[in-house]
Formats: sequence, C-alpha cells, structure tokens
Amino acid sequence: MGFKVTDLFKKYGDKVVVDHLSFEMREPGVYALLGTNGAGKTTSIRMILNMLAKDGGTVEWNGGPLTLQTCNVGYLAEERGLYPKNTLMDQLMYFASLRGVPRAEAKQRINYWAERLEATEYLYPPQEGKRPVKPKKADQLSKGNQQKIQFMLSLLSDPELLILDEPLSGLDPVNTDLFKSIIHEEIGKGKYLIMSSHQMATIEEFCTDLTILNRSKTVLQGNLAEIKKGYGRINLFIKAEQELRPMIEAAGITILSSVGFSYQCKVSGEEQANGLLKNLVTQGIPLITFELREPSLHEIFVEKVGDTHEEQ
Amino acid sequence: MKNSNLRGAGTVFRYTVQQHYKTRSVIIFLVVLFVIAVALLPAAALLSGSQKEVSETGIKTLYIRNETDFPIDTALLLADERYQAVRIEETDADDDTLNKRLAEESESAASVITMDAEEYHFSINTRYGKDSAVSHADAATLNNVMGDVLHKSLMQALGVTADQEDMIHAKTVSQVSKVSDFLRGEEETSADTHVFANIVYNYFIIMLCVISMSYIFQQCMEEKVSKLVEMLMVSVSPTALLLGKILAVTVFIFGGLGLIAVGFVISYQIAKQIADVSALQAVIVKLLQFDPTALHLNAGTLLLFIICVLLVYAMYAPLSGIAGSCCSKTEDTQHASLVVVVVMMLGYMIGSFAPMFESDAANVFFSLFPVTSIFSAFPNYVCGKISLPVLLLALVIQAVTAVLLMRIAGSVYKMMLLYRGGFPKPKQLIQMLKEYKASAKHGKEDSHAV
Repeated sequence: MGFKVTDLFKKYGDKVVVDHLSFEMREPGVYALLGTNGAGKTTSIRMILNMLAKDGGTVEWNGGPLTLQTCNVGYLAEERGLYPKNTLMDQLMYFASLRGVPRAEAKQRINYWAERLEATEYLYPPQEGKRPVKPKKADQLSKGNQQKIQFMLSLLSDPELLILDEPLSGLDPVNTDLFKSIIHEEIGKGKYLIMSSHQMATIEEFCTDLTILNRSKTVLQGNLAEIKKGYGRINLFIKAEQELRPMIEAAGITILSSVGFSYQCKVSGEEQANGLLKNLVTQGIPLITFELREPSLHEIFVEKVGDTHEEQ
Repeated sequence: MKNSNLRGAGTVFRYTVQQHYKTRSVIIFLVVLFVIAVALLPAAALLSGSQKEVSETGIKTLYIRNETDFPIDTALLLADERYQAVRIEETDADDDTLNKRLAEESESAASVITMDAEEYHFSINTRYGKDSAVSHADAATLNNVMGDVLHKSLMQALGVTADQEDMIHAKTVSQVSKVSDFLRGEEETSADTHVFANIVYNYFIIMLCVISMSYIFQQCMEEKVSKLVEMLMVSVSPTALLLGKILAVTVFIFGGLGLIAVGFVISYQIAKQIADVSALQAVIVKLLQFDPTALHLNAGTLLLFIICVLLVYAMYAPLSGIAGSCCSKTEDTQHASLVVVVVMMLGYMIGSFAPMFESDAANVFFSLFPVTSIFSAFPNYVCGKISLPVLLLALVIQAVTAVLLMRIAGSVYKMMLLYRGGFPKPKQLIQMLKEYKASAKHGKEDSHAV
C-alpha cells in the first residue's frame, strides 16, 4: 500500500537527468524532494505524474500503476499560471469538472476554499453602489492572490496524493502562514504529500522523510530525524558577556563564526562540549546561552551538495 | 487509443467554446459578419436596379408613341392579364404634349419607342407624371413587358416563327477532345469555367485554412503561454485536451460559416421580396464570365462539397496543430504559420493552375496527391475532369492522410507541451519525436501511460 517510486530514470540524448531514483511512502505524511537547481526534482515529479515519458522505472500507487484513473492527484506546479482573460470562477469550475466533481459539490468546495484562503472577494466582488461589479479575471489579481487560486485548483478534487512544488515561493509572511496552516490541515486529514522546496526551514517543519538529489543522483535519503541523529549533536552555540575565543580554542573546538561574544562552533561530540562547559563554569564565567544541537537540514543539505554544486 | 485517454475532451470542448463566445470582440465580429451577409444581396439588387415586377398595375391609360418602322402589336400587351383593363392609345404627340397629359392624368403612363437605324438599337422610355398614382416599380415592370412586346412585334413583322427564333438563339457548344474521350461520350467543360471553378473553390479553401490555422495556433499555445499546462495535465490527458480544442475550433469555424450561410439565405429571401433576383444572377454571371450550366452540378454535389470541405479541415487542423504545438511564445507563430502556409500555397498554386495543363493524367494526379488533392479534386470533378470513382478515391486518401496527421499531431502536442525552447528545426523535431517514441514505448510496457 502507499506510494512507491522504483528506479526512475530519464536522459536527454546522452545527459542523464534523473538517475535511478527510488523512494517509498508506506503511510500518509510528507516526503521532501530536495536538490539544487537542475538536480532533477521537477523532472522526477513530471515523470511521477506521467507528464514526461520515463526512460526507466515505475511509479506505483496502492500496489498498481499510478495513473489519472487510479489516483486522485492534486498538483501545484512550480511553473504555474491561470487563463489570464477568463473569470476565476469559470476556471475553478472547469478544473473541478475535469476532475469529475459534480457542479453543486464543486461550488461548495470553491466557496469553502475561497473563504479559507481569504479569496472570496475575488470570486464574488462586492457591489459598488448600484452598479453590479464584473467577476474578476486572473490578470486582475496580484501574483500572491493568483497563487491562492492556483492552490485552490490543486485542492478542489480533495486529492489523496498532493504534490507541491515550491508552494510558498513568492508569498508574503501572512500568506505563507496561511498556506502552512492549510498544509498542516491536509497532513492532519491523512493525505500523502510530496513537497519540493528550497526553503529548508519549511521542509523541516513538515516532512518526515526526504531525498536529496544532486546532479540527478540521490545523495541522501531516509527519515529526517534518523538522519539528524546519525550526524549527532555537533553544533554548539555559545553566547556570553565576555571574550571566550581563547578558552574555546584551547578546548580544541573549531569556531565557525562569531559575532561579538556569540560563537557558532563545531564539536567532535558531546564529551568535547561538556568539557568546555565544565571549564567555563569552574572559572565562573557567566553564560547567556550554551546550546548543543543536531545539524539543521540546511547544514546537512549544504554539506551534501555544497562542494559539487560549487564545482558546477 | 484508450478511452481513458479521451476522458475530459468533452469538458475541454465545452469550456473552450463557452469562453470563445463569451468574448465581446468575437460576438461583435459575428454580428458584423451576419449583418453584412444579410445586407449583401438586397444591397446588390438595389444598386443594380433590378427591381421586382409588380403583380397588379395602377395604370388605366397607356400612351404608346412608336417612332420605329415596325408596327407594335398591342394585343400582345393586352394578353398579359395585368394590362387587360388598360386603355391603350397610340399617339404621335410630341414630348411636351405627352408630358402635359401625364401631369394632368394621375393614372396614365407613356412608352416612347425609338430606333437607331444605323446600329439597329432600340430603346423604350416609359414615363409617368410627377404626382402620379403610378409607382416607379409599376412603370419599370411595364417597361420590361414593353421590351418583350417590341421583340415579339419585330419577329412578327419580319415573319420569323417561334421555332426559327429558337434556332437563331440556339447555343453553340464547341468541344475539343481526344477520340477516346469522344467515344466515352465525356463532355469537356471550357478551360475558362474550369479555371474559374478552381479559383473560387481554392479561394474558399484558403480562407478556411488560414482562419482555422490562427485559431488552432492560439489554442495549442494557450496553456503554455498561461503556464497552466502542468496543473492541467494531472486532470486531463494531452490527447483529450487537443481533441477538445480542435473540436471547439471546428465549432468556431463552421459555426461562423453556418452563420454566413444563414445570413445569405435570409439575404436571398429579402432580395427576392424587393428585387428581381434572376436579373441579378444574370448580371453576376455576365460580370464573372462564368457559365454555371457548364458545371456538373446535381443533388449529390452539395453533399460532396460538404464532405470535401470537412476533409480539408480535417487535414489542415492537425497540420496547424503540429506547427502550433512547437510554439512556446507568440513570436514562434511566425515560423509555425510559414510552415503551414508553404504547404498550403504549394497546393493552392498547383490547384489553381492545374486546369492549364489540359492533361487527364495531371488532373488525376493532382486530384489524388494529398497536398494538391484538397484544392483540385472537387473542382476537377464538377468540371468533369475526373470521374466520381476517382473523386471518391481522392477523398479516401485525404481521410487516411488526415488520420495520420492527427496521430502525429497528438504525439507532437504531448511531447511539446512542456517544451520551452525556440521553434524547432525539422531535424531537431524528428530527433525529439524519436526519443519521445522510445520513452513512450517504455511507458506503454509499464501500462503507465495516462
């Protein structure tokens, strides 16, 4: 059961763009596909959705092939738009109709999502005086508000599998929070989500499992918590009211960066950090912060693809 | 082709048609087109002066001043039931006297018949008073009838019988033919009529192709330009999307043509009410130097014409679809239209000038070769240059070509939906198609194709 990608492969001429990608979601949750620009994320998503012919591999949904008929998919593409000269309601009804949602049900869902995404005024413009106001067309909306309508399009069919490619790019902080809350809701409903983003903090907030792609190859894959655990707590952040550099260096700890009396350090393990802490406390040095933590997804990502990315 | 591949085509079709007819400029264009079609024949009839004959006359007295050397048989006029009650008075009165009488008598009219003896030219001038009860149409009808009366009177005076007159006016049809054609009894339409039929038909076909081409380009690019294509492809297959759109364009095109046809029917009916349409037809035929009786027209010709036009569309719509699918931005349509227009013009030029070859083999070849067939087959048939079986074979070839082009168009559309480069060169397109087919083969093996 669930969603499974096996040995997905694609090449253009002699150039391999997706090199035997495999991953699996056995239960609902969020799976992240990460990678640098051109790593093959969008190509993989396009092959998963059968938009692009595969040169190899299979995509399964509940044990059978994933097709439009076997899986109700919602997709928010990275490259997204709307028919500029058509009214928003017409476009939403059109998409709902294509997904087989009955008209009355579609209307209900549109109204629900319009209210949830604070877009009702664009679908039903308030009357100005005695003049009836024409329904809004897509090209009359800002980019952020167009993105709300596009998000609605991907949610209208109440999909089992939701694929979001850079869902939060271009949104202001208020709308980012609005989108995040809806994504949390969808996770809560037991949906399968595949998310691709360059915003590592967002991925970290939602995802349980991930694959990092670099130059078409999988360079890291697995459960995010386990990956972090595997790295250990090697990041040390210290904030004090006086200079600590000589004491930190004396303990054999590398300072990655410092601002004033705040230090970002890398330790070999918890014992090394504990040794430094013991020494500072013995000397009676007052500390504001002494935090030992696992590496962030951002740091893991940079470590995994940073060197090769620079080579590109 | 799987049925699931076509799921959603109906929705795409309905949405595309609805959005098209919701556009204000489209509605204005159609209204203008319809009004022009409705107004055309009545306006032409009125401008040509071919007014409708009256069925009753308001003339009580008719003065006839005959200045020719031939007697006018007024009994011929009285034989027309409209003029049975008219009092006819032959007169020698001069113009002033005649005009004075007409001014005083509101129910009188006068016909003055003159002859130019040097050029054997007759003229009839029928006039009525300024405040007369006689209408202009009434006087015009009388003038026409007087023309017939004059002609028949002349024949009588010269002792020419009706049979002799028919013989004098008998039509001469001259033919040049090979002995084999002569023995087969095939009539040959004159080259002028053949060329004319080709030009008229080909002009219509070119208009149809050019208009449908621009619509199809627009429809093929719409999702790419609006960046909706990826989000749409999880809801509908590219095949269904293309099919829905081409069907919608079919409705735009043939809906427009139907509207013009309805406009012309209404136009004809209006023209019939206000004018003598047969006179207008005669004027048109004379102006165009075209003899419609020389064409092989029968009840089935209209059906064949409709089939031919539909097949033209069925061939050019996918060709335009292939070219339009290769466009990623508006500027690319210049390249795309060039490709389609070159193919179209090749067929058009050959089709238009084919009659000049005066060769049976050439006529058959041009009628069967797909590029020229859509321009040549139907005119060749109506002009008797090819037989019905050859025309039917040409239609079968066109249908097969159309199906092949549609399959290619479907593949190219699907392949190019996510393509964002410049307009591909033919070599590049073929290479892309090969790679696409190889990948698609793998997709089919996995039963993953949408």
